[in-house]
Amino acid sequence: MSSLRAVELHEITKAFDGRRAVEELTLTVPVGCVYGFIGPNGSGKTTTLRMIMRILHPDSGSVRVFGEERHEAYTERIGYLPEERGLYKTMRVRDLLRFYGRLKNGRDVNREVDRWLERLDLAAWANKRIEQLSKGMSQKVQFISAVVHRPDLVILDEPFTGLDPVNQDVLQAVVLELRANGATVIFSTHDMSTAETMCDFICMIHKGRKVLDGTLTAIQDQYGSDTVLLRVGAGAAALHDLPGVEHTTDRGQLQELRLAKGADPQRLLGEVMARGRVLQFELARPSLHDIFVRIAGPAEGESHA
Amino acid sequence: MRKVLLVALRDYNAAVRTKGFIIGLVLMPILFGGSLIGLKLIESQRDIRDKRIAIVDHSGVIAQAVVEAAERRNANELRDAKTGKQVQPAYRIEVVPPDEQDPDRQRLELSNRVRDKSLTAFVEIAKDVVTAAGPGKTPGISYHSENSVMDDARKWLEGPINERIRKLRLAAAGLSEELVGRVTRWTPAEPLSLVAMDESTGKIKGSTRRSEWDAIGIPFVIMMLMFILVVSASTPLVNTILEEKMNRVAEVMLGSVSPFQLMLGKLLGGVGVSLTTTAVYAAGGVGAAYYMKASSTIPFGALPWLFVYGIAAALMFGALFVALGSACSDLRESQSVLMPVWLLAMAPMFIWLPLVKEPGGKLALYASLFPPFTPMLMLLRQATPGGVPAWQPWVGLAEVIAFTVLCVWAAGRIFRVGILMQGKPPRLGEILKWAVRG
Repeated sequence: MSSLRAVELHEITKAFDGRRAVEELTLTVPVGCVYGFIGPNGSGKTTTLRMIMRILHPDSGSVRVFGEERHEAYTERIGYLPEERGLYKTMRVRDLLRFYGRLKNGRDVNREVDRWLERLDLAAWANKRIEQLSKGMSQKVQFISAVVHRPDLVILDEPFTGLDPVNQDVLQAVVLELRANGATVIFSTHDMSTAETMCDFICMIHKGRKVLDGTLTAIQDQYGSDTVLLRVGAGAAALHDLPGVEHTTDRGQLQELRLAKGADPQRLLGEVMARGRVLQFELARPSLHDIFVRIAGPAEGESHA
Repeated sequence: MRKVLLVALRDYNAAVRTKGFIIGLVLMPILFGGSLIGLKLIESQRDIRDKRIAIVDHSGVIAQAVVEAAERRNANELRDAKTGKQVQPAYRIEVVPPDEQDPDRQRLELSNRVRDKSLTAFVEIAKDVVTAAGPGKTPGISYHSENSVMDDARKWLEGPINERIRKLRLAAAGLSEELVGRVTRWTPAEPLSLVAMDESTGKIKGSTRRSEWDAIGIPFVIMMLMFILVVSASTPLVNTILEEKMNRVAEVMLGSVSPFQLMLGKLLGGVGVSLTTTAVYAAGGVGAAYYMKASSTIPFGALPWLFVYGIAAALMFGALFVALGSACSDLRESQSVLMPVWLLAMAPMFIWLPLVKEPGGKLALYASLFPPFTPMLMLLRQATPGGVPAWQPWVGLAEVIAFTVLCVWAAGRIFRVGILMQGKPPRLGEILKWAVRG
């Protein structure tokens, strides 16, 4: 590795027709990690990934990949799965993958193609045309096209959406394998549980700006143990107007309460017990999902507006 | 460059290995001028069954001559002189006495016989056909058949009938046929090439006879070949660009190659396709000319230029197609955006005839030195008898190369913006701005 940093973005800004899609974004992706981009739709995730790929050029700021600013210096070391899948419909699966592989580095990629087709259970479809594949299958083909040349950095834009649970598991395992073999993986996702379980580092972008960056633990630490998971005999109706509670999320059988700053959980427990039978009372750190909603939720949006 | 060639090769294969390409290859010559071959084919397959023609001669002095002429024709002219195969139908003339009481009734009966196919046609000759002469008169010969305008028999019948009328009129005027023929004989001016001196022998070479085919046909064919070259480059190019844009393949590609590499690869692929097409047609044309023993009419001096200009034209127009195509998001949009380019490509077709008539004129010179027209028009002028001064093709070529480089460069800049643009129909002004600003 020429650098311990796979990707460095320094104050990059990109605007489309005067609307800023990404604003002064600075972040570092260390080599050999799985790095997750989260954020609501239209927050600038895809734009950021496209700038790392040099498909888009930032209006200002710098992009370095493996310490290099020149795109030609690192194109062959990157694999890219765009959000919107792009495959030549009339080409055969194997020919297409060979073409994409050769386009990257000219080495003979035939063996690698066959190995991946085997690995993702597509060997029987190798001679079929892309248009004959199901959506999930073509997504797997697209995934192979991003990794077939053994890249050092893999950028995956929403790699798991549209897949059934079985294939999701397969692809997640493959992503972790890539990391185990030394590759750096950056992916964007809407699925917080995937990000929570898979990512070494998580970065959240909201309205073009970075709002969270770090390991899951570090992010959760920022919020402290301010969440109470509560199950009461009387149900959600009994929990109105509890003192020291900032926000209540009704999850049906379970209520998720967010404590106000400085509120005492013991006092809350006493109050709840006074109102009825308590089945479960658990002091927890907020889930990534919860943190996401706190930042990007509608209420937050209003208060910022 | 390796990546450019990979892209070019993929596009070339994707375009050439389709049914559409093969069909297009066959269809194009049929569309452009190939209809002539079609007509010849149809002519050789014509109906040679006997044609029965009824003649109702009110004058009473014509019918017999027509019957005799038809018999002569049936005996002498039906067969191809070389092969001996019958190529023309025999005409069987049936003389029907005129029904002076109810001519309309007779016409209806004869028409019904044509309808039930026992007759091909019937012709009615007016009583005063010999004496009536001069303008403003109603026609003295009426030919009735299902498709009377296009009927060969009608054209043939005019001959013997008029021959007979002329004879009768000359006789009535007391003039000898031989005398009239002699005094009204037409003298044509023969079209010839210039005479030249043979440098080795010092003798003056005689001039050769020129045909309209030399003067117009060959230049036109060469110009069409150039147009086909441009057309056949454009369709696969625009198709693959739109396909890649709509399927978002472009984004995957841009993850591996730079926009300029991608554009250049596509352009070279498209040019390869069109050169394939042109080579097939040029070889076919030369082969056909040799087969028909007309190889001397091929302007071999212009052929190398055909390829040089051809490559330049395909690159030049290809770049314009790529650039504008990349700015569109679907086929319908591309049709309107590409219209100006099409007009530019087709413009020479509207002005070629005056140019061929006066290949040394000012209009010809200026038009053929306007870079987008040069490949077609300079070549057109080079192929006309007489040709052009030697410096002109070179100046034209230099201009074309400069303009092509400009087009490719601008296309690269437009392509970079256009290929990722979605959902917004672009305006020409905006596209030019991309080219200037980059």
